Amino acid sequence: MSQLNVAVVIKLEPDFSEGSVSYNPDGTLNRAETKNTLGPHSAIAAEAAFYAKVKYGARVSVATMGPPIAELALQTAQRLSNADELHLYSDRVFAGADTLATAETLKAGIKKMQGDIDIVFSGHRASDGETGQTGPQTAWKLGFTFLGNVIDYEVDLDARTIKAKRLISLQGFCDIVEEVEAPLPVFIAVDPSYKPIFNTVSQRLSFAKYRKESEVRSKNHKYYLQVFNVEQLGADKTLVGLPGSPTIVYKVERIPQGKAKRQAEVLDGSNPEHIRKAVSKIREALSAMVIK
Amino acid sequence: MEKYDVAIIGGGSAGLAALKQLANLGKQAILLEAGNKVGSKNVSGGILYSKKPKKGRVFNVEDVFGEIFFQDAPFERKITKYILHATSKDKVFSMDLTAAHEYEANFGYSVLLNKLNGWFAEYASESAQKYGGGIVSGVHVSSISWDGDKTIVTTDELEQFEVKAIIAADGVNSEVADMTGARPKFSPEQLYQGVKVIIKLPEDIINERFSVDSGHGAAHLFAGDVTLNHIGGGFLYTNQNTISLGAVYHFDSLLENPAEPYTLINELLKNPFVSEFIKDEVPKRAEIDKKLPQEDQLRIRFAVTKMIKSWYELRDAALSSHKKNDLMKSGKFVSEKDLQEKLVLIRDQLTSKYKVSFATDYVEAEYSAKLIPDGKRCRMKKPYFKNILFVGDAAGRGIFVGPRIEGLNVGIDDAARAANAISNAIERNNFAPTYLGESYVQSLEQSPYTKDLTEIDKNYLKIFLDASKDVPKDIISSRYGTIMKLMSSGAIRSVAVKFANILGYDRLLPMVESVDTYVKVPIEIAQRLGTTITASYSPTIPSISERIARLSYNDDGQSHIKVLNPTSEFMKKLVVLCPTNCYSLENNLVMLSHEGCIECGTCSQETEWRHPRGEKGINYQYG
Repeated sequence: MSQLNVAVVIKLEPDFSEGSVSYNPDGTLNRAETKNTLGPHSAIAAEAAFYAKVKYGARVSVATMGPPIAELALQTAQRLSNADELHLYSDRVFAGADTLATAETLKAGIKKMQGDIDIVFSGHRASDGETGQTGPQTAWKLGFTFLGNVIDYEVDLDARTIKAKRLISLQGFCDIVEEVEAPLPVFIAVDPSYKPIFNTVSQRLSFAKYRKESEVRSKNHKYYLQVFNVEQLGADKTLVGLPGSPTIVYKVERIPQGKAKRQAEVLDGSNPEHIRKAVSKIREALSAMVIK
Repeated sequence: MEKYDVAIIGGGSAGLAALKQLANLGKQAILLEAGNKVGSKNVSGGILYSKKPKKGRVFNVEDVFGEIFFQDAPFERKITKYILHATSKDKVFSMDLTAAHEYEANFGYSVLLNKLNGWFAEYASESAQKYGGGIVSGVHVSSISWDGDKTIVTTDELEQFEVKAIIAADGVNSEVADMTGARPKFSPEQLYQGVKVIIKLPEDIINERFSVDSGHGAAHLFAGDVTLNHIGGGFLYTNQNTISLGAVYHFDSLLENPAEPYTLINELLKNPFVSEFIKDEVPKRAEIDKKLPQEDQLRIRFAVTKMIKSWYELRDAALSSHKKNDLMKSGKFVSEKDLQEKLVLIRDQLTSKYKVSFATDYVEAEYSAKLIPDGKRCRMKKPYFKNILFVGDAAGRGIFVGPRIEGLNVGIDDAARAANAISNAIERNNFAPTYLGESYVQSLEQSPYTKDLTEIDKNYLKIFLDASKDVPKDIISSRYGTIMKLMSSGAIRSVAVKFANILGYDRLLPMVESVDTYVKVPIEIAQRLGTTITASYSPTIPSISERIARLSYNDDGQSHIKVLNPTSEFMKKLVVLCPTNCYSLENNLVMLSHEGCIECGTCSQETEWRHPRGEKGINYQYG
């Protein structure tokens, strides 16, 4: 069996979980006050890479472009993926990059990784930008086949091919699962509903082994970390950062929030009257439900 | 299909010891545990012994796990006091049995299995990994089948795989035994039902109250009126900063005279001797003014909860030399004074701002239950089936003779012997029952524990009688007085023990293990010779639903138990005897709601009983 090399491209994003997020008076995100974390879709991509590690003993490299603080996202991703190599592309030159310029930086980085990369994983989209373009554009720049909305995959290491299942939502009609086969290398944008399944003893054993190793590795993440500036990366300065960005966001308009339709009511769990009320509401809701 | 040399089913102390021993011998083995984490379904009294019998040898925990056990294992305390108490109302008569506890023992540690088995798992899996094995948790074995010379294991969660041999370490309610028909289910007269509560108490208070040094502990056993007329008794073991308080009764005795298992624990809690041991300063919340807006009421409730929690944590640390030092090292507090001041501050705030009062009471953390096989009556004579070897509780091997209570060490000894036998079988590539099974049986027969399961040890009996020499024999009105008087003479004792062993446990036990021994005689002794203990408070005992509410479950929508006959007399008694009230009687039919089930197996006799699927069911935090 030959070696499999996979990469994950991730993003440090504002933590939108309750209590972590902070807004400016005008309703825009207060980036200074908001905590940052590994994006939820990036975390799923890291899990998809961990699956390759467990199932095929893949070598995993994780990369991100961002300020030095983005190291935090790399550390979290390493805990999830047991990565062997962490890349941070950090340079003032990279600032102001749109999706295309980001793709250029990531492409340059992926080429710097140890071994020829067979699969690159990315999240479905970022929770702050929400364009979902960086992945496909990076794939295009790398010349890799792009597979989006992947919910499961299987690699044939000898034939160097991959079989993937894609979840396709026919809006409002139904969901279908498409099975595709492609030669490596590929770029996979992992569907948010992806859940790795380990159903053999050997997979469970390596899962346990690598999970334990990843805890140790992520505690010493600096040992695995390489930081690249634009020179070290050898990227074309005209194609990265602001100069490489054909799109510029010049205004963000806030959509006024619609009035909430929900009516929340606070019930006291220690008051039997209130519990009775809750039960009768649940009953009411259940009786209104029509089982198709 | 994947292939492995050995599969061990069940990650209790015995299963983990088997995994470690096989790794010690350089053999590949995988261990399958149904709980989401090793240790999450294990319960024990419990004391873990290491023994040094005069004749023969046993495999002790340190033989299997190595010296690292002493340096690193999270055992609780080394038990250096072992005392038996006879109770009658507020009177207690105590007998020091430390000599019996130390009989042929290297040590006896009090343990909490969730922690300890977690540690065993860590070391065993690390060793097993070297040979391509390890631990797979969250997996429930549903069947084992044979196809020619292939042994195939099927689980609810994973693809089938093939093995050469199996060690069944799946406990008293062994599904492996059941599915293969290796032995019938244990019957009520072969079982004890044990229920236990974990009580929180800071380390320094335990040291002072039980007059032990840090790291040392005490064990107390109880018989008499606390048994509510059942055959069995209570126990109290000190852990590092908790206390294990339990009641263990012959299951047939409970069936004869059904009592809710928790009432037997409550009886112990109410006994002034016990309640004085466990008392502590406990914060009591004040009623929140109902006139306040609801949101304010909630806010107060949360604030008080949070504050009480930090008060407990800090106080626990302040009253424990270990934790205090850890806190200082972490830099959270610069000095002990700093810590004390913070504690006073929280307490002041609780009392002045939130009208919390502090009263004498006790704090219960976890309720648990388990069936215990009485090895004297139920050990499997030939604990194997084809290429499956049974160990520990699954093989019905536990030593319970009067105050002698040993289970974990027996399971570990069995596990090491089973691992040794399988290792030899792998080397000779012979897994036939005539070789593998029989060589395991032979090894077990050589174990001093097997001897203890079959006959009375006259040296142990002497120590026991010496300890009871202060009891004037003539005050015991029953025939015991005469017997005890006679037995104190060495020559007669020797003859009597010989005679008793000729009779055998089968005929002897019904005479010895009786209401007289466990109830009447202790009550009489306590009444006549006991000292009176005055209770300084009456403990607030949680109801069973409160106890269940504190447990943690991973609910399974699908029931792992099926009632076979909802009108049977046995099942009707289960309405009372189920430790978590899972059964109820409706229109004369026994109904089951499995949600609160703690998987003790008390009802397994007349139900289709299996463990929940992988990761489902009870998750004990202490065990």
